[in-house]
Amino acid sequence: MLKSITKITAIVCLLTNIYSCTKSSTETVTPSTPVTATVKDLLADSVTGIDPATQMPKSVGLYTYFNIEKNKIIALTDTANGNWDLAFKTTKILINGGTSGNAMGGAFIYNGLFDDLKSISNDSAFKVDNAPTSYAITTGSDKGWYHYDGQTNIVTPVAGRILVIRTAKGKYAKIEITSYCKGGVNLTPAASYEDILYKQRYYNFRYTYQPNGTKTF
Amino acid sequence: MSIHNLFLFLLSPVLVFGQNEMAKDTLFANGDSVVVTATRSERKLSNITVPVTIINAKTIQQNGSLRLTDILKEQTGLTLTSGFGAGVQLQGLNPDYTIILINGEPLVGRTAGVLDLNRIALGNIKKIEIVKGPSSSLYGSEAMAGVINIITDASNLIPLQASLRYGTYNTLDANVNNTMATKTLFYQGFYNYYNTDGYSIRPNSNNRVTTPINRLTTSQQFKYNVSDNTTLVFNTRLTDENIKSNITVSNGGVSINSNGNEHNTDINLAGTLNHRFSNTLKTSFRSYLTNYISSQDLLTLSGAPYNDLLNHLFQRVENQTDWTVSKTLSGIFGAGAVWEGVKSSRYDSEKVRKNNTIQYGFTQWEWTPINKFIIIGGVRFDQNAQYASAWSPKLSMLYKINPKHKIKLSIGQGFKAPDFRQLYLDFTNAAAGNYSVFGSAEAQKVIGQLNSLGQIGSLFNNFYALKSLQPESSTGIHLSWDWEPNQKTFISVQAFRNDIKNLIQVEQVGAYVSGAQIFSYLNIGRAFTQGVELETKYQFNQQWSWSGGYQYIVTGDKDQITQINNGTVYTRDANGYSKKLTLSEYVGLPNISKHKAQFKINYLTTHGLFANFRMVYRSRWAVNNNNGNDVYDNGDSFAAGYVSLHTAFGKDYTNGVSLQIGCDNITNYIDPINLSNLPGRTLYASFKYQLIKNKK
Repeated sequence: MLKSITKITAIVCLLTNIYSCTKSSTETVTPSTPVTATVKDLLADSVTGIDPATQMPKSVGLYTYFNIEKNKIIALTDTANGNWDLAFKTTKILINGGTSGNAMGGAFIYNGLFDDLKSISNDSAFKVDNAPTSYAITTGSDKGWYHYDGQTNIVTPVAGRILVIRTAKGKYAKIEITSYCKGGVNLTPAASYEDILYKQRYYNFRYTYQPNGTKTF
Repeated sequence: MSIHNLFLFLLSPVLVFGQNEMAKDTLFANGDSVVVTATRSERKLSNITVPVTIINAKTIQQNGSLRLTDILKEQTGLTLTSGFGAGVQLQGLNPDYTIILINGEPLVGRTAGVLDLNRIALGNIKKIEIVKGPSSSLYGSEAMAGVINIITDASNLIPLQASLRYGTYNTLDANVNNTMATKTLFYQGFYNYYNTDGYSIRPNSNNRVTTPINRLTTSQQFKYNVSDNTTLVFNTRLTDENIKSNITVSNGGVSINSNGNEHNTDINLAGTLNHRFSNTLKTSFRSYLTNYISSQDLLTLSGAPYNDLLNHLFQRVENQTDWTVSKTLSGIFGAGAVWEGVKSSRYDSEKVRKNNTIQYGFTQWEWTPINKFIIIGGVRFDQNAQYASAWSPKLSMLYKINPKHKIKLSIGQGFKAPDFRQLYLDFTNAAAGNYSVFGSAEAQKVIGQLNSLGQIGSLFNNFYALKSLQPESSTGIHLSWDWEPNQKTFISVQAFRNDIKNLIQVEQVGAYVSGAQIFSYLNIGRAFTQGVELETKYQFNQQWSWSGGYQYIVTGDKDQITQINNGTVYTRDANGYSKKLTLSEYVGLPNISKHKAQFKINYLTTHGLFANFRMVYRSRWAVNNNNGNDVYDNGDSFAAGYVSLHTAFGKDYTNGVSLQIGCDNITNYIDPINLSNLPGRTLYASFKYQLIKNKK
């Protein structure tokens, strides 16, 4: 069951548009019109039960594809070419580049605050996926965007980790994952077994997308 | 008991035979009691220069305490921990850093640094002395936070004493003490049987928080007065416990349920020869052997065996000589050697014992330049085969401003040697992703071998930083002020600070080709604890009295504080968005409550009727790093603060019979996840009989 995606277009952006329009008449540079949005409860490979033999959670094993520009989940039948930017399956996130896709996708992880990342420096190296040994968005507990607690099986996004994304079309975006749990909360060790099993794998994140192709947000 | 009595007793136990054993234990009985742990020699409490707590037998009995944990949790500055058995945190330092002694000899057999204090029965305890602050200058390794010395009841000359107690969870506790004495020979035996069904405080779970246990403890003391100046003392102690285990280990998404038996045996043998050359010179030779053997034989539900073995052998010989140079100056000299070895199924081979030898020497001098002022200085040197040697100095002083006011100041260094696990662990967790942990003594060799076999994927900088471990060490300062405004009131305020360096931490040093992590131990951490303790006692009237204590403590990891100040540590705001962590949101070390308080209201009549009501409060403590920033802050998960209430009533009859009933945890406060050592409400009743000899 896919979750509804709410889109918040910041009024700030609209104002910037108006302001920019008047200004662009005198300048050749395309003005910055970054779009900021939040995504709630994007389900990445839902758990269908427990395998009695291995005691591991069972699931269908499919990725959920997402298009940043359209702020939209892409149907599995429609994921050809440059139609998607990110693909989510449990804690793994693919970009549309390298071994994962033919488009211009790339990414790296920035340590710092979302608002402090005002522009991507030119010497930043975007990585591409090289399955199965490495991914642009590094996998593994504490190495990439999340922390995994082996005692409780709770996944928590690490604060201060920003995913810097080059989209399929070569535009730039920054993403902060705020929760891996349904409803945007973070589970505590006191959470029930059922909640830990069935309420995780729901991505909640905010992002800023720069449609004009510059590296400035 | 006065110092004079103790002195007589040491020389010739029979001399005190006819005295009244049921010593009056008033509130201020501590005032003239004798302390041995603080200076390794008998001193009046009023002349002790370091912070000391004394718990006497009467308190233990009237509180209805059975195991050491029961009484320690009601002491200022002490907090129980759960996980790997019940340990005790002293002034914010983990159980690893407090040495546990029985009659001055250390107990061994720690799991993950924790010595399970439930192993220790209290039925023959004369008193417990707790010295706070680094005490390695006298006791060597582990005496970093302090010392807990359990002194068995050698003064109890009651020929026969038996008691039986029964309570909730089918908990049965039976004790027999017997004593025989002639002019030259003295024997005392103690037998304790403890059995409980255990309890489950998780609903709908067969996972028992405390599993069914039976424990047998016996200790014997033989004394022989060879001459007026020479005594021989021989002590034995045996604890044997069987625990029925039904545990679930959850790791890496896999839960393994196991059933089986855990068997732990603890043997202690100590022999002491005391000789007095003159009134100013005496010496004692001590030899000690202890062996702790723990084995777990479990079967997982799928039928696979899970076995774990730990066998810790510790032998020591020691001499201590006490010399009274003059009325104002006295000194002690000591030297000893330790042979220690551990076999474990978590090392490379459980057949081979890993060994260490330690040689040490210490001296301490006590100078009383004027009546009001005592200054004590001491130093100990520990040298050994497996890790860096350690110097442990200590200086302490007492100034009696007037009969009502006293000030104590002590500065000392303590250390904890790397334990065998940190040196020799060779453990790969097949149940959780095949990660490995190697002890630092062998990590480079083992990983090097794996590397030559092509199994190593990457080596981290930490691998090249591996070297011989240093002992963890702390410098502690304790300043206290005791005030007795009148005969009925006692107030003590103490401020303390401990600076700890070379903390040994588990760090990733590399990875297998498969990506599975490889860990080892490095000296990297720096931390501090500081706080204030308040203790009060007040005697309302002949019957009613109050005692209460409070501790406020602040802790921190110094490297984390540096990172926070640099703005490189993040947390989340109410929207889930990252923000920089500020120092005010930092909570310091985990499992530490900022506030801890307890009080006791005591009622005691001259007819032997007694009652008490006790409260223990602990504020919240951080248990889990929720937001993945490796630092404990307000955004993490905490165990809720709580209050537990306890009460006991009883009567001691003149014919030797005592009856007692009690209720622990009256309000039935439980927290299954964070407080597995606090059962729900428990009720008990006990019966005791003492055969009192009337002859002179």
